[in-house]
Amino acid sequence: MEKKPEWLKVRYNQEAVNEVAELMRDLKLNTVCKEANCPNLGECYQKHTSTFMILGSICTRNCRFCNVTTGRPLPPDPNEPMNVAKAAQKLGLRHVVLTCSTRDDLPDGGAEQFAKCVRAIRKVCPGTTVETLISDMKGDHAALDTVIAAHPEVLNHNVETVKELQEAVRPQARYERSLSVLRYCKEQDPSLLTKTGFMVGLGETEDQISRLMDDILETGCDILTIGQYLQPSPQHHPLARYATPEDFVRWKELALSKGFRHVASAPLARSSYKAWEALEDVHDLY
Amino acid sequence: MEKKIEMPKLRPEMESGVLCAWLKEEGDTVSAGEPLFEIETDKVVNQIEATASGVLKKQLAEEGDTVKVDTAVAVMETE
Repeated sequence: MEKKPEWLKVRYNQEAVNEVAELMRDLKLNTVCKEANCPNLGECYQKHTSTFMILGSICTRNCRFCNVTTGRPLPPDPNEPMNVAKAAQKLGLRHVVLTCSTRDDLPDGGAEQFAKCVRAIRKVCPGTTVETLISDMKGDHAALDTVIAAHPEVLNHNVETVKELQEAVRPQARYERSLSVLRYCKEQDPSLLTKTGFMVGLGETEDQISRLMDDILETGCDILTIGQYLQPSPQHHPLARYATPEDFVRWKELALSKGFRHVASAPLARSSYKAWEALEDVHDLY
Repeated sequence: MEKKIEMPKLRPEMESGVLCAWLKEEGDTVSAGEPLFEIETDKVVNQIEATASGVLKKQLAEEGDTVKVDTAVAVMETE
């Protein structure tokens, strides 16, 4: 294992983590924080923040960068939407981020469960904003329409990496399909803030990063997140390098100069890390 | 009151962890929330915080030791 740089140190408080973990367990909910072994879990749980992972913890895809377990998932839990809303209420979340395992086994990719969760949150936690971090749902317009109709404030879908590394990093996804998901959602509802993210440290070049930003921006995307790839285990896609904090500042400036409205770029920035700040920053857009 | 500080379970499949550095020495006063020691995992270095204030009475593991989850790594005299 390569020595970790100084900027990859995180704090962890067992009691604070237990408190949120018990709440999730009692309500039979999953968080991507836990399933993806997120390095920010300690910090976020301590601040009573988490990202719900709906539709179960088993994913039908096997992306080479991701820690989520691949297998045959269970049917959607009919109690999940209300339990998500209850957990959001107990945690006092002002901005709820919902993500999911990719459910290629479901005809709608899990779109209806997303919509139900958004509606339940609207009912139980009025005034709370919602961000749906969706899979590509196979690019199916009917499925995407279901999510759009629930009108989350932010529609997030990650491209994950540059065009040239898609096959190696996420073999069951497609670069163009992910871009078309972002483009379609923005076209259908221009008031929807769209958001995406990618990792660095997988072996991409500076030119590839710049072209990736251009391709994303062309879809009308508002918000971009850039973070360091951290290899979950020796069996996952190999780490090419640790980018420096200065690299992330440079990419942030590049992305802003190209025209993104908000960019979160830091070694430990993740899709939903401090998602509220991104929304607040571009609030005047809607 | 003596309180045992245990190796935390940082993820469901974790069985043991390598205590890579002590951040407090025996006899040091520690406030709740201050980092006590570091564990390196695949992704990051985790600084484990004290959950109560007191004095670090005894270190039960040395830097570089692999310690099973829930096994005591230190004893603190808490307030």
